[in-house]
Amino acid sequence: MELRKFILRRLVEIGVIFFVILTVLFVLFRIAPGDPVARMVDPMWTPEDVQHVISQLGLDQPIWTQYLYYLKNFFGGNFGISFHYGEPVLDIIWKRLPNTILLFTTSTILAALAGVFLGKIAAWHKGRKSDTWMTLGALVCHTLFVPWFALMLVWILGYKVGWFPLNGIISPEVWVRGNSNFLVKGLDVIHHMLLPLMTLFVIQTGSYLLLMRSSMLGTLKEDYIVTARAKGLTEKAVRNHHAARNAALPVITSVGLSLAFSINGGALTETVFTWPGIGKELVFAVSNNDYPLAQACFLLIAAVVLTANLIVDVLYAYLDPRIRY
Amino acid sequence: MSNLSERVHLFDRLAKGWAIFRENLLGKIGLTLLVLFALMAVASFFTPLFGPMYDPMTGVDPLISHATGPGWRHWLGTDFIGRDIFTQLLEGAKIAFMVGLSAAFISIVLGTIVGMLAGYMGGFVDMLLMRLADMIMVMPSLLILLLLAALFGQLNIWLIVLLIALLRWPGVSRVIRAQTLTLKERPFIEAAKVAGASHIRIIFRHIMPNVLPLSFLYMTFRVTSAILVEAALAFLGFGDPSQVSWGMMLQWVWKTGHMFQAPYWLLPPGICISLITLSFYMLGRAMDEVLDPRLRKEEFSE
Amino acid sequence: MTLISVENLCVSYQTKKGVLKAVDDISFELEEGRSLGFVGESGCGKTTLGMALMRLLPENGRVTRGRILYGGQDLVQLSDKGIREVRWNEIAMIFQAAMNALNPVHRVDAQLREAIATHEPGISKEALQGRVEALFDLVEMPRERMRAYPHQFSGGMKQRAVIAMALACNPKLVIADEPTTALDVIVQDQILQEIRSIQDRMNISVIFISHDIAVVANVCHDIAVMYAGQIVEFGSREEVFNTPIHPYTRLLLTSYLTLEGDRPAPLEMIGRTPDLIAAPTGCRFYKMCPHASAMCENRAPEYRQATPTHRALCSLTS
Repeated sequence: MELRKFILRRLVEIGVIFFVILTVLFVLFRIAPGDPVARMVDPMWTPEDVQHVISQLGLDQPIWTQYLYYLKNFFGGNFGISFHYGEPVLDIIWKRLPNTILLFTTSTILAALAGVFLGKIAAWHKGRKSDTWMTLGALVCHTLFVPWFALMLVWILGYKVGWFPLNGIISPEVWVRGNSNFLVKGLDVIHHMLLPLMTLFVIQTGSYLLLMRSSMLGTLKEDYIVTARAKGLTEKAVRNHHAARNAALPVITSVGLSLAFSINGGALTETVFTWPGIGKELVFAVSNNDYPLAQACFLLIAAVVLTANLIVDVLYAYLDPRIRY
Repeated sequence: MSNLSERVHLFDRLAKGWAIFRENLLGKIGLTLLVLFALMAVASFFTPLFGPMYDPMTGVDPLISHATGPGWRHWLGTDFIGRDIFTQLLEGAKIAFMVGLSAAFISIVLGTIVGMLAGYMGGFVDMLLMRLADMIMVMPSLLILLLLAALFGQLNIWLIVLLIALLRWPGVSRVIRAQTLTLKERPFIEAAKVAGASHIRIIFRHIMPNVLPLSFLYMTFRVTSAILVEAALAFLGFGDPSQVSWGMMLQWVWKTGHMFQAPYWLLPPGICISLITLSFYMLGRAMDEVLDPRLRKEEFSE
Repeated sequence: MTLISVENLCVSYQTKKGVLKAVDDISFELEEGRSLGFVGESGCGKTTLGMALMRLLPENGRVTRGRILYGGQDLVQLSDKGIREVRWNEIAMIFQAAMNALNPVHRVDAQLREAIATHEPGISKEALQGRVEALFDLVEMPRERMRAYPHQFSGGMKQRAVIAMALACNPKLVIADEPTTALDVIVQDQILQEIRSIQDRMNISVIFISHDIAVVANVCHDIAVMYAGQIVEFGSREEVFNTPIHPYTRLLLTSYLTLEGDRPAPLEMIGRTPDLIAAPTGCRFYKMCPHASAMCENRAPEYRQATPTHRALCSLTS
């Protein structure tokens, strides 16, 4: 019961935030130096196409009407035509979105699991050599500069050793051959995904390990840990069932809080590896002055961030009964 | 009278704080590394003394006009048009400190003011400010800056600093607001109110001094994120083209396709960025222990 | 029948400033079905003693000397596996009411079930459920609240749940560490009655730790007064109350108000315990003792037996 109300309230909140972002973007595009019409219409097109887009997006109307057109188009899925690709922006981002989600969610989930697991062990072995090494390692990983680390991985594992492809999501040869089945294609994608995945995974695991470790150290001082021991539970049971269970909660919140940061990292990784996702498209669009595409990519990322925040909040509420009841 | 005892008290706290800090290994390592980087930054002012050949931006070696490895003339080698990499590295240190410290400072000022206002005023002002903070905190700063760069053209370094600060203050403001809320209830605030002090006076004269140590603690984390964002921006090609930052160096390596052939060019800037982030982080953690007694090593209690 | 016998127990903590002897040469015996109260101010070592009996000392705590004889075994020397079997099954603990003894993210009945299942791994689900229900009935808690989370309970109910959990495996000895501190007086009384009734009905021995001598006198057959890590007086409830020997005991007895009789003499400084890292060689109560003499400062006192069951650690004769 409570959970449903909670979700509803959060949905309304993020709806409002998204609306504000939409509006701010609208304003920005118009106060920026230069001709706002040129932002949405590529002067290279034929005059008929130009006029068509202008009327579709309402760019010849007074500003308030423009705003309404803007909103209508947004909810209708019309983001204009990409200058670079010449296709409707919606089609482009629709194709790119799954790639980003695949890479990003896989790395975040794996890193969270690894970080929680290793952080738990590090805290348990506090003071010993294993803890020192793990903490130091995590510190180093946490502070690695994302694009640089990505380049290093490409250089060493891709170029020097040749184990992995240097960029992209697929090897065209594999996909063009008539007899490649789904498994082969799938493996090809995974093969390409491993380096960008590793980049994000290593860095994020470092962060989560540090977080879990300090959370765990705090939890181990709690009284119910003494109770658990007193009940005759094995050390392992105390650690996993009582301590880790409580210590993992703040880590989950931080996955949400650090989303903004990880998305930055995700975009950088996609760019270095030319992984065809939303992040890479945003960077390329900005470099090529492809405004319609850039705007849509940004909005999409904003929506993804807000949704992910909501999911994390709900997950946390589900796991911590003190919030639900 | 009270000023003297306050000052003695402060000195005592500083001395105690230093003793605790000294014990912390991470803090010492962090501080040492930072001193090293600071020396690098200072050294960058002296490179012109060695001749125009060593200018990080325009230095041209008459003998070399392509990327070469480390040697006596150029300790870390040269980049793709023959500029000295070592001096570029020193220059990058200067930029990193400049960007990091100024962006952090501005965001702390903003965040502290907002936090104090929100905590002290409460009600609608509080709600509005915190909602704003939430919104800004949720958005990925790098991408916002990218979009702004697309719309407004090439960004000047100080504009970048300002924008970073504008995106980073929410984190500080939450903490300061929480602190202000607890301080608001304390008797000395009541006393000031009764004495007729205006709200502004109370905020800046009574609340701010108690809140500032917390602000400065969080400064270390602001510095790292500012440096990282600037580096990422420069890496993607949207930094200030007149400044040689470490991120810019990486951009050059990458864009000129030298990343596989020139490790002497690829490694130093990346290592520096990561190391300076690491050292600020360690420093921040050590300072955390100084300022928050609960984090200190266990003292026996019954 | 002697249930548990402690001989010359010493417990120390490793601290930054040195080794702190929290418990120094404690010896006592407890019979089946009897209850013993440990009274003293904070820092006297009573909680440390309670924890040591179950080998629940923190990282920096160690038993440095002595034996804890239970069921024919020395608990100090027992293996980790061995002590786990003794914990809860034979000796259980009721923690301070103010503590977070219950894990906030698990339901209360689940935590009780865990206690039982740890020691009876083969038990069936229905039997487990039945046992938990019986425990709730035992402490007079409504069965509907079983599936609640700890934060949904009031202080008194949480304490009942903790008591129920302690009894889950039918232990022979229950150590109650300040179970009524931080509860209001009425609830305090209820909990004490609960403990007394359980003790009588189930013939369980109780070691009751408290700073409040009145509470201890309410519940316990015998009383041990502790000061600075030592037992300074040991005797039956009547002996200690009616004929206290040690000056500290006398001070404690005057420190609570009664509704009848004269106002007792105001309390002198029951205050700073001596430094337990560099413990004084003479009597530890020397500084606070109104009857101290020069001899007391330098010579460590020995136990004097007033009766076969009543002893005190004092050099004075009076």
